Amino acid sequence: MGVVTDPRPLLSVDGLVAGYTATDEILKSVELSLQAGEIVSIIGPNGAGKSTLLKVIAGILAPSRGSVHLRGVPIHGRRPREISALGVAFVPQEQNVFPTMTVRENLEMGGYVDPHGSRAKIDAIFTRFPPLAEKRRHAARTLSGGQRQILAMAMALMVEPAVLLLDEPSAGLAPAAAEKLFETIRAINQDGVSIAVVEQNALEALAIAQRGYIMVDGRNSRSGPAAELARDPDVRRIFLGG
Amino acid sequence: MAELLQLLVNGLMAGTVLAVPAIGFTAIYAVLRFPNFALASHATIGAFGGYVANTAGGLPAWAAVAVAFAVAGLVGVLSDTFVLRPLRPAGAITTAIAAVALNIALENVVRFVFGNDHRGYDLPLQRDWQVAAIRIGPQQFQNLVIALIAMAAIFLFLALTRTGKAMRAVADNPTLANVKGVDADRVGRLVSFVGMGLAGVGGMLLGLDTSIDPLTGFRVILSVFAAAVVGGLGSIPGAVVGALTIGVAEELSLVALAPAYRSAVGFVAILLVLTLRPRGILGERAY
Ligand SMILES: Nc1ncnc2c1ncn2[C@@H]1O[C@H](COP(=O)(O)OP(=O)(O)OP(=O)(O)O)[C@@H](O)[C@H]1O
Ligand SMILES: [Mg+2]
Repeated sequence: MGVVTDPRPLLSVDGLVAGYTATDEILKSVELSLQAGEIVSIIGPNGAGKSTLLKVIAGILAPSRGSVHLRGVPIHGRRPREISALGVAFVPQEQNVFPTMTVRENLEMGGYVDPHGSRAKIDAIFTRFPPLAEKRRHAARTLSGGQRQILAMAMALMVEPAVLLLDEPSAGLAPAAAEKLFETIRAINQDGVSIAVVEQNALEALAIAQRGYIMVDGRNSRSGPAAELARDPDVRRIFLGG
Repeated sequence: MAELLQLLVNGLMAGTVLAVPAIGFTAIYAVLRFPNFALASHATIGAFGGYVANTAGGLPAWAAVAVAFAVAGLVGVLSDTFVLRPLRPAGAITTAIAAVALNIALENVVRFVFGNDHRGYDLPLQRDWQVAAIRIGPQQFQNLVIALIAMAAIFLFLALTRTGKAMRAVADNPTLANVKGVDADRVGRLVSFVGMGLAGVGGMLLGLDTSIDPLTGFRVILSVFAAAVVGGLGSIPGAVVGALTIGVAEELSLVALAPAYRSAVGFVAILLVLTLRPRGILGERAY
C-alpha cells in the first residue's frame, strides 16, 4: 500500500483559517497530512469548505492563519504558478478545462509552467489515454463528462506532480465512467503520485484511499484509516445514507 | 445589377478593413471582459502615427501601417495600465464608462497636437482598375491586402505561439489559466497592445481611403462595436463575420437610404442581434 513511515509528511496543513473576504472564515481550523505515495480522501457535506481547502493549498486563496508545508517547506500564500512548479497540481471541481481549445492545446496549457519536453509528455498521455488521442484536435467542450475529467487530470500530470489535488472528479459522471475514473486515479497513484481527493461519492473515495478526513463546517470532524471510516456507523449514516 | 455588384464588392472590402479594429475590440473584451470604447481614439492615434511616419518620415503607406500599429499599441498599454486597469475591480460597467471618458481625453490630445483639420496621406495618384463592370481603387485593394495580412498574422499568433495560446486560455477560463501559471497581468498588457495596435491599423486604413482628423476613430466605433456584437462579443472569427456583415449591409443600405443614415445600419444590427440572438452569430467561441 506504500504507506511510508517518514515522520515528515509530503504535504501538511496545520490550523488553516481562510475565507473569500478579509473577514469571513470558511475554513475555521483545518489539519491535513499526506504521506508520500498515499491517497487521502476528503469527504463532507456541501459547503463544508472542501473546495476552499484545496484552493488554499493550490495558492488560489491565501489563508489568513495557519500553514501549508510541502516537504517541510512553507508554501502557503505563494502564487499558483510557484506552487504548481514545486509539484502540486490542482484539478478544480468545475470548469477544469479550456473549452474552446483543443485537447492537445489543453495539455500544452497543463504544462505551461514547464514547456520543456512537453511534446514527449503529451505523446505519453495519448498512449495512456487513447480516447484523448482520438480527440486530440477536437475542442475540449466536445468531450463527454468522463473524458473531460480524464483530460483535466492529464493536464495536471503534465507538470509531473508529486501531489495531485482532485476536487470531486466523479461529479456528474455515470457509474461506469466514475468507476473508470477511480481506476485511473489509482493507476496514477501507483506511478508514485500522492493524491488528495475530495469526493461526494464517499464510499468509492474511501475504497481507493488509505486514509480519510471528514470535514464539517470548516473543521476536521473525523479522520483515520479509510477502511475504518467506511465501516463507522456514524459516517455511514451521515454520508452514505446507510 | 452591376451597381448592386459594385456595392457588394465595396462592402466586402470595407468589411475586411473593419474586421481589423473589430478583432482588436473583441480580443480585448475576451481577455479583459469589458467593452473598451477608447478603441476609437486609439484608431485615431494610430492613423496620426502612421500619418507622421508617412508625411514627415517619408515611409510608404504600407510601411507606415506598422508605425500605426506600434504607436496605437503602446498608447493602449499605457492607457490601460494607468487608467483602466485600476478600475477593473469595480466592474465592467464602471470600466466601460471610464473608457468613454478616456476616449474623449485622448481625442482632445490629438486635437491639441494636430488641430481639427482634415489631413491626407502622401499617396501616389493611381487610376482605378476596371474589372468587367466593377471598379476597384488600387489603394482600396492595398488596404484589403494589408487587412488580410494583419488578420492572418493574428490568427497564426493565437493558433501557434505559446503566448497566443496563453491569451486564449485566459479568454476561455481565467481562473484555470491562473492555476496553470499564466500571468494574467502580462496577458492583459499584451492584449491591450495587440488590440489597440489593430485599432490603429484600422484607423489608418480607413484614413488612407479618405482623410484623417481627430474624429476618425469616433466615426467608426459604432460599426466596430456592431461588428463585434453581431459576431458574438469575445469571438475573433465572429468579429470577422460580423465586420463583413456590417460592411456589406452599410454599402447596400445606400440603395435605399441617404448616405447620412448609413450609421443607422450598425445601430439596427446591434438592436436586432441583442434581441434575437444575444450571443451573436458565433456565440462565445473565443477563437
Ligand atoms: N468564490 C466564492 N466566494 C465567496 N464564497 C464562496 C466562494 N466559493 C465558495 N464560497 C462559500 O464557501 C463555503 C464553502 O464552500 P466550498 O466550495 O469550499 O464547499 P465544498 O465543501 O467544496 O462544497 P461542495 O460539496 O458543494 O463542493 C460555502 O458557504 C460557499 O458559499
Ligand atoms: Mg466543492
